[in-house]
Amino acid sequence: MSRFFATGSDSESEESSSADEITPKATGTTFNKPALLLSDDEEDTKRVVRSAKDKRFEELTNIIKTIRNAMKIRDMSKCLEEFEQLYRAFLKSKTIVDKEGVPQFYIRLLADLEDYLNQLWEDKEGKKKMNKNNAKALSTLRQKIRKYNKDFETEIASYKEVLNSSTNVISLCRCQDEESESDDDEDSEDWGSDSVDSGGESEDNEGAAASLAVVFLKKYKDGRRKRHKKIEQVEEEVDEDGEAEEGGWEKVKGGVPLVKEKPKMFAKGTEINSAVVIKKLTEILQARGKKGTDRAAQIELLHALSGISNENNLGQGILVKIKFNIIASLYDYNTNLAAFMKPEMWKKCLECIDELLDILFENNNIFIGENIAEDSENLAISDQPFRVRGCILTLVERMDEEFTKIMQNTDPHSQEYVDNLKDEGRVCGIIDRLLQYLESKGSTEEVCRIYLRRIMHTYYKFDYKAHRRSLGLQGETKSEQDQEESEGEDSAIIMDRLCKFIYAKDRTDRIRTCAILCHIYHHALHSRWYQARDLMLMSHLQDNIQHADPPVQILYNRTMVQLGICAFRQGMIKDAHNALLDIQSSGRAKELLGQGLLMRNMQERNAEQEKIEKRRQVPFHMHINLELLECVYLVSAMLLEIPYMAAHEFDARRRMISKQFHHQLRVGERQPLLGPPESMREHVVAASKAMKMGDWRTCHSFIINEKMNSKVWDLFPETQCVREMLVRKIQEESLRTYLFTYSSVYDSISMETLSEMFELELPTVHSIISKMIINEELMASLDQPTQTVVMHRTEPTSLQNMALQLAEKLGGLVENNERVFDLKQGVYGGYFNRGTRTRP
Amino acid sequence: WTIHVSVFQVVMKIIKHYQEEGQGSEVVQGVLLGLVVEDRLEITNCFPFPQHTEDDADFDEVQYQMEMMRSLRHVNIDHLHVGWYQSTFYGSFVSRALLDSQFSYQHAIEESVVLIYDPIKTAQGSLCLKAYRLTPKLMEICREKDFSADGLKKASVGYENMFEEVPIVIKNSHLINVLLWELEDKSTAADKHELLNLSSSTHLEKSLQMLMDRVDEMSQDINNCLFFIPLQYIQRRQQENAQRQSRGEPPLPEEDLSKMFKPPQPPPRMDTLLIASQLSTYCQTIKEFTSQNLGKLFMAEALQGTSSYS
Repeated sequence: MSRFFATGSDSESEESSSADEITPKATGTTFNKPALLLSDDEEDTKRVVRSAKDKRFEELTNIIKTIRNAMKIRDMSKCLEEFEQLYRAFLKSKTIVDKEGVPQFYIRLLADLEDYLNQLWEDKEGKKKMNKNNAKALSTLRQKIRKYNKDFETEIASYKEVLNSSTNVISLCRCQDEESESDDDEDSEDWGSDSVDSGGESEDNEGAAASLAVVFLKKYKDGRRKRHKKIEQVEEEVDEDGEAEEGGWEKVKGGVPLVKEKPKMFAKGTEINSAVVIKKLTEILQARGKKGTDRAAQIELLHALSGISNENNLGQGILVKIKFNIIASLYDYNTNLAAFMKPEMWKKCLECIDELLDILFENNNIFIGENIAEDSENLAISDQPFRVRGCILTLVERMDEEFTKIMQNTDPHSQEYVDNLKDEGRVCGIIDRLLQYLESKGSTEEVCRIYLRRIMHTYYKFDYKAHRRSLGLQGETKSEQDQEESEGEDSAIIMDRLCKFIYAKDRTDRIRTCAILCHIYHHALHSRWYQARDLMLMSHLQDNIQHADPPVQILYNRTMVQLGICAFRQGMIKDAHNALLDIQSSGRAKELLGQGLLMRNMQERNAEQEKIEKRRQVPFHMHINLELLECVYLVSAMLLEIPYMAAHEFDARRRMISKQFHHQLRVGERQPLLGPPESMREHVVAASKAMKMGDWRTCHSFIINEKMNSKVWDLFPETQCVREMLVRKIQEESLRTYLFTYSSVYDSISMETLSEMFELELPTVHSIISKMIINEELMASLDQPTQTVVMHRTEPTSLQNMALQLAEKLGGLVENNERVFDLKQGVYGGYFNRGTRTRP
Repeated sequence: WTIHVSVFQVVMKIIKHYQEEGQGSEVVQGVLLGLVVEDRLEITNCFPFPQHTEDDADFDEVQYQMEMMRSLRHVNIDHLHVGWYQSTFYGSFVSRALLDSQFSYQHAIEESVVLIYDPIKTAQGSLCLKAYRLTPKLMEICREKDFSADGLKKASVGYENMFEEVPIVIKNSHLINVLLWELEDKSTAADKHELLNLSSSTHLEKSLQMLMDRVDEMSQDINNCLFFIPLQYIQRRQQENAQRQSRGEPPLPEEDLSKMFKPPQPPPRMDTLLIASQLSTYCQTIKEFTSQNLGKLFMAEALQGTSSYS
C-alpha cells in the first residue's frame, strides 16, 4: 500500500479524534508512567529541538496550501508567485532539509504541480481561454518547474511509482487532502504540522536508509490494526504485545483517540463502576493546580473519563461532575489572568457548557449547588436524586468574562473580530438557557445574577425590530426571515421585566446599580428620554457614583453619555449639554468610557496599572462613537453659547457655558488662513461663526451637509427627525442671536420680516420674542396691531457699560487694598474702622 | 519758572513730526534746544530723533545728537540742550521709560524739561502741550535708587508729587503775530467748528478703556504685595498658637519666622507709584474733557432752546 495513503489516513484519524497536538508526545514519552505527572522540562527540551524544523516546515506547508488553492482556481500568476516563494523558503530551510531529508509533502507538491502544468499545457482550448497574464505565467512556471524538478528526479520518480500502483487510493487520499484543506485554517495547519511530524519522526525511528514507503506501509498496517481494536474495545481484550506496539507507534501518530487512554487509567480488567471512576476523578483533580501538571493533558484525561463513564452508563451524576471539572480545568488552562482563551479551547468550553445544560434540562433529579458539601454528594445512586457540588452560574459567568476578554484582545477591524462576535449569539443562548433553568430551580440571588448577565448582553443593542414595528413598517413585503426575526419579545419588555425583578429582589447593591444603569442606557438608546431621566433622578446615582468601583463608573459614564445623546435627539439641548459636560470637559472621554487608553508617561501609570486598565476596556462592538459624542456636545454648546454670548457681549463677568467650545472657537480663530471646513470640529466652528452673525442659512449648511451626515448624523436611527429638529433649533437660536446683536440698530422691527428672514412661522417668532421679553433679555415691547417689536433702548450704551465695568474693577481694587491693609493691621475692615474711630 | 516756547520753531515742528511719523499709539520723540534767561527757560528750537528700524541696530543716537547740535550751531541757532519732547496717546505717558530718561536729563542738565504733546486733543481743536519736570524729592530717590516702600515713605513721595508741571508761555515773533492776525481775518468760521464738536463717546470710551487697563495692573500689583509674605505659614503658625493657648502652653515665638524665611525681596514700589500717577493723569484728562463737554452741551441746549423760540 502507498505511504501517501498512510499520511492521508493519519490526518483523518487525527481529525476524528480532534485532540490537540501536544498530548501525543506527552503520552508517548511517559507511556509507562502514571501519565499524569510528567516534568515540564523534559517536554520543553524536546520541543525546542523541534521548533526550528517545525517552523520552517510550517512555512512550507502554508505556501503549498496556497499553491494548491491557486491550482484549483487555475490562477497561474498566483501559482508562479507562490512557487517562487516556496523555492526561497526551501532554500532557507536547507540546513534542516540536509539533516532530515527532503520532506514528503514537498516532493508531492512538486510532482503534482508538474503534472498539473503539463496537463494545462496540453489543454489547448483552455489555454486560449486564459488571459494574457495567466498564460505567460503558465509557460514561465512550466519551464521553471521542469528545471527545478531535475534536482529531485529520484524522489519524484519513486513517488510516481507509488502513485501509479494505487491510483484509486491516491484519488481518495487526494480528496481527503482537499477536504482537510478546505476546512478552516486551524485544522489544515494541524494536519500540516502533523504530517511533517510523522515524516520526520519516522525517519528518526527507522534511520535514513529505510525507504520511506516502507515506513508508511508499516504505519498503515498499524493504523488498520488500531481501527480493528477500536471495534473490539468494549471487550477490553488487549494483549500485552499489542499494547506495547501500540505505544510504539502512538508516539508517531497524531491525535490519541479518547478510548485509547483508558488502559492508562484503569488497570486491565478492572470493573468500571462509579466508585472507581470517582476515585480516578479525585486523583486527577488532586494534580490540579500543582506545579508541573500538564494542564492540557488533564483536560484530555477528563474528557476521556467522561467518555468512559458515558460508555459504562454510570449515570448522569458522574457525568455532570466530570463536566464541571472539564470546564473548570479549561478555565485553568491559562494561568495568566490577562491572557485570553485560545479559539479551540473556547469552542470546547462552549460545547461543554451546552452539553452540561442539556443534561441538566433532561434530568430533573440532579441538584447542583456550591453549598453541597463534598461528602454529601450523591453521584451514583440513581434512585435518589443526584447531588453534585458545583455552580453552573459561576461557570457561565466566567465564560462570559472569557468572551469579553477574547473580544478585548481581538483587533476590532479584522475579520477575526467579526468571527468571534458571531459567538455572541451562542453566549446569549447559553445565558438564556441557564436563565430558564435557574428560574425554576435557583435561588433569588442566582436569578438576579443571571438576569444581570442577560441585561448586560441586551442593554447596548438597538432593537431594530421593535423600532420598525413602532414605525408601523411591518408590511407584507417582508421576507420570511424578517418575519421570523420580528417575533419574540421587544427587548424593552425583557429589560423591564428583568430589571424590575432585580430592583425588587436584589440585596447586593452592585447588581442593582448595574441593572439601573443598563435600564437607563436602554431607555436612552431607544429615545425614551423621560423614562430614562426619571430613572436616573430616582436612583440618586449621580450623588454617590464616585464610591462605586471603576467598571460601574465606566458603565455610569456610558449611560450618562447615552442619556445626553438621547436628549439631543429629542431636541432638549440644555439637558444634552449638561449630561455630556462632565465627560467632555475633562478631555478624557476615551478613557472615561473605557474605550481606549490615553497616552501617558510611565510616572502616572506603571505597567501594572496599565494592565488593570486594559482589562476594564469595553469591547469594540459596545463602543459609543466618540466623534458623534463630541459633535453632539459641540453642537449643543453652540446652540446655547452663541445666543448667550450675543446677549452678554459687554458683561464683564460673563461666564462661559462650555470651555471646550470656546477652546474650539479660539483654535479656529488662530488659523492664519481659513479654508473650507474639513473636520467635524471645523464645521461646528464655521457654523458658530455664521450663527454669530444671525446667518442661519450658512450655519445650517455647515452643520448639515453630506460630510457631516456621513460622519455623524447618519449614525442616529431616526436621522431625519434629528436633522429636522436641528434645523429648527438653528433657526430659533439664530433669531435670538440676531435680536441680541442688532436690536440696538432697530427702533422697531416687524415680526413678519423676522419670520421671513428665519423661515419660521409667525406664532413661533412671537413666542420666542415674548419669551425674551419676559426673561428681560430683550428690552422691547410687542405692538399687537402692527405686529412689530418696538425697542426700548434702555440697554446701556457701550460707554455706560464701560463705566459699569470700571466701577466693578475699582470695587475689586478697593477690596484688595483693604486686604493688604488688614494683613498689616491684623483686623478685618481696619481701614474703615479707623475712619469711623477718628471721626468724632 | 516759566517756559517760553516759540511757535514756529518748536510747536509746529513737533506737530509736523507727529503728523509725518506718528501713527495711532506710536510715540515720537525729539530734542529741545534753547537757553535759560533769568527765571525762564526759552525753548527756541528742536529736532526729532530718527525713527528706529530693526535694520540699523548699531545706530548711535548720541553721535547723531552731537552731530545735529554741531550743525545747528554752525547756522547760529541755539544749541544748548534743554530737554526733550514726546507725543502721547490719550494722555498715557507716565512710564518707567519716561521717568528714567527724564531723570538722566535732569541729572545732567539741571533745567531740562519734557514736553508732552497730545495730538488727539490737538486734533479736537485745542493745542495740548505740557511741560513736566521731576520734583526734587523724586530726583533724590532716583539718585539713590531706593524704591522700597520705606524709602518712598521717608522721602514722602506720593503719586501727587512725582512730577511738577511747569507753565508754558507760547511766544511768537511780532512778524508772525501780524501774519496770524491777517490769516484770522481771512479764515471762515467753519474752520473753528472742530472746537464745538459734541460727540464725546469715542474719546471717553478710549480713555475709560485705558483707565481700566491701568486699574487691572494696579490690582495685579496689589495681589503681588499680598502674596509676597509667606501668608500660609503665618496662618498655620497662628492656628498652632491658638491651639497651644487652649492647651495652656506658651505660644511659639514669632521671631524665628524671619530666621526661617530669608525675608524675600520686597516688591519695588516705583511701578505702583507710576501706575498711580498715570491713573491720576487719566482722571485729570477725563475730568477736563467732560467738563468742557458739559459746557458745550449746555451751550448747545441753550442754542436749541433759542432756535425753538424763534
